[in-house]
Amino acid sequence: MRDLHPTVEQAVETLPLNALTRRRLLRGTGLFSSALAASALLAGCSDDPAVAEGAPGNFPRTPSWKFVFVCHVTTNPFFTPTQYGAEDACKLLGVQFQWTGSVNSVVAEMVDATNTAISAKADGLALAVVDKAAFRGPVDQALDAGIPVVSFNADGARDDPGTNRLAYIGQGLYESGYELGRRALTVLDSGEVAGFIATPGQLNIQPRIDGAQQAFKDSGKPVTFTPIATNADVTQGLSIIDAYVQGHPNLAGLLAVDAGSTQSVGQTVAKYKLRDRGLKVAGGFDLVPETLASVKNGDLDYTIDQQPYLQGFLPVLALYLYKLTGGLLFPTQTNTGLLFVTKDNVDPYQSTKTRYEGSDTAVKLVERSGPIAHG
Amino acid sequence: MSLAVARTPGGAALARRAWDGFVRRREASVLVVAIGLVIYFQAASPLFLTGDNLRNIAQATAPTAIVAVGIVFLLVSGEIDISVGMVAALAPYLMHYAIDFYRVPAVPAILLALAIAAGVGLVNGLITTRLRVPSFVTTLGMFYLLYGVLLTTSKAYPVAVPEPVKGSLQTWLGAGDWASLSWCLLVVAVFHIVLTRTRWGLHTISVGGNPLGATEAGIRVNRVKVGNFMLVSVLGAVAGLMEAFRINSIDPNIGGGTRITFTAIAAAVIGGTALAGGSGTVVGALLGMFVLAMLQNGFNLIGVSANPFFLIQGIAILVSMIANQYLSRLRRTGRS
Repeated sequence: MRDLHPTVEQAVETLPLNALTRRRLLRGTGLFSSALAASALLAGCSDDPAVAEGAPGNFPRTPSWKFVFVCHVTTNPFFTPTQYGAEDACKLLGVQFQWTGSVNSVVAEMVDATNTAISAKADGLALAVVDKAAFRGPVDQALDAGIPVVSFNADGARDDPGTNRLAYIGQGLYESGYELGRRALTVLDSGEVAGFIATPGQLNIQPRIDGAQQAFKDSGKPVTFTPIATNADVTQGLSIIDAYVQGHPNLAGLLAVDAGSTQSVGQTVAKYKLRDRGLKVAGGFDLVPETLASVKNGDLDYTIDQQPYLQGFLPVLALYLYKLTGGLLFPTQTNTGLLFVTKDNVDPYQSTKTRYEGSDTAVKLVERSGPIAHG
Repeated sequence: MSLAVARTPGGAALARRAWDGFVRRREASVLVVAIGLVIYFQAASPLFLTGDNLRNIAQATAPTAIVAVGIVFLLVSGEIDISVGMVAALAPYLMHYAIDFYRVPAVPAILLALAIAAGVGLVNGLITTRLRVPSFVTTLGMFYLLYGVLLTTSKAYPVAVPEPVKGSLQTWLGAGDWASLSWCLLVVAVFHIVLTRTRWGLHTISVGGNPLGATEAGIRVNRVKVGNFMLVSVLGAVAGLMEAFRINSIDPNIGGGTRITFTAIAAAVIGGTALAGGSGTVVGALLGMFVLAMLQNGFNLIGVSANPFFLIQGIAILVSMIANQYLSRLRRTGRS
């Protein structure tokens, strides 16, 4: 082997490469070697290798395990805090993660990414199960290969999780929709309610609208609930909601089950001053800045936070503990929350730029003071 | 364009002529790029050439390569089809409707889906040739029309693969490990021969290369074009059905709208088919798709995350294709 500067050798050692590749890289010449190094560096940069130097915390030294997240909308801003959560957990534990899947919910691409992760002998998988049939085979294959699998954010249909994943870590989707409806019923006794959904049938939001519908049915009150499809493209969704509201002047409630539709509901309520025209309740999901502004202004009564950071942090933790204990600590069903954000508690969400909500990249402490709101 | 076979023995001369024959082929440059990528990814991850992963690459290559075969014929005859991705998404639903709502047995239901796809191609072709609407616009309209039909009839909800299809039929038609690749290779082989050795292929090339000359030579230009529209639609339906069988779910998002169409067009062009018509190669389209699938799979295997993924994939496509162009120039000038 040619002489190499010790720092080069040291740098190469920290890259996430296997022994064979590392040897080739050190021995390699010119273009080949530099291309390899460049790709390894990029791969390294993308999710911070955090090779287990010493042991983290009170844990024993482990290999630098690699967990793969397969998401249905990899570049959607909702999942920015999820990726921070996974990254933070990985740094804490000296492991790595990869964020992959499909950009626009193409199930075949997600299946391909899952199969590739299995071939790559990933140490654990976190899957957004947005189709209840398609992932059964891949998950069984992973489990057969000894790779633990959890689902995050979406978990098949309500009656059928669709896969043999060890546990689901995310919001109870049906339950959250049910609560969305129940909360509306506290101020509503009768009338027309519209429920907007960007992509009907998609299993990360459809159960919510089913839940909301059930809540109205269970209440026995004379409320008619109509689910309306908007669009994954927010701009088109806004036009659809706008048109619906113009065509239905007597609406008593406007609900939405996804971030885009919720934001658009807030804007539409403000545009037509629907509060003055008999609208009793408006609410939805997620913490897009526009939605928070609407909550603050009173155009929306509430929005539901599902704490996406935890949907990245907790799967890494669960998979790590499973690996660490040889499977004795089994991943548990985890509800990442059902937190109502209203005019009373919206301020810190609006004023705080933080990594933990995805609005900032900096790692810094968020101070709080005063009593904690309780029932 | 066949490989030169040396009549006189003599090692060096034989190798020389074989080499000349190879580099004269249109597919040679993209093949070199493909081999280069295999070497690179195998060096970056020793798991690249394992059986499991080759299966992954095959499954990512096959459906789009089948669509690309149809696209090659259509591009060569001087037209384009944007709607084929929607045909791919609609075909599995048509099969599902026929089986689950009208009690049609499995095989006739699949044939029915293919026939309806052919009908879509026929309409595309007739609007383009008879009413003289540019094919880009015709098929864009058809894309939205089919999208609407798909979402309305399916209520945008994924459904399970119908029971009568499950079992060996599903395995043979896409769910088996190598099923989709086998079909893909068969389609490529058949249509390579059709394009290079049959009258239909010759007419397709002349229609795209010189429409006026073709008409004067007595070729029925419109009929050739309509036939190729039907071909691409049927192959689109085949790809959609295969994908549904593979992922074991009928999903409105199969093909990803225009994604499969543009990937297939990219594969065809990377493989050496001219966007302007008149020349093309089916084997090249397969190799082009193979290159695109390898780029996707390889970077995933190495572990590149989603956000930088497109950056790296973009650079990789540009570098590969610049190399491809450079190699093609070498090929054309005969310096090798």
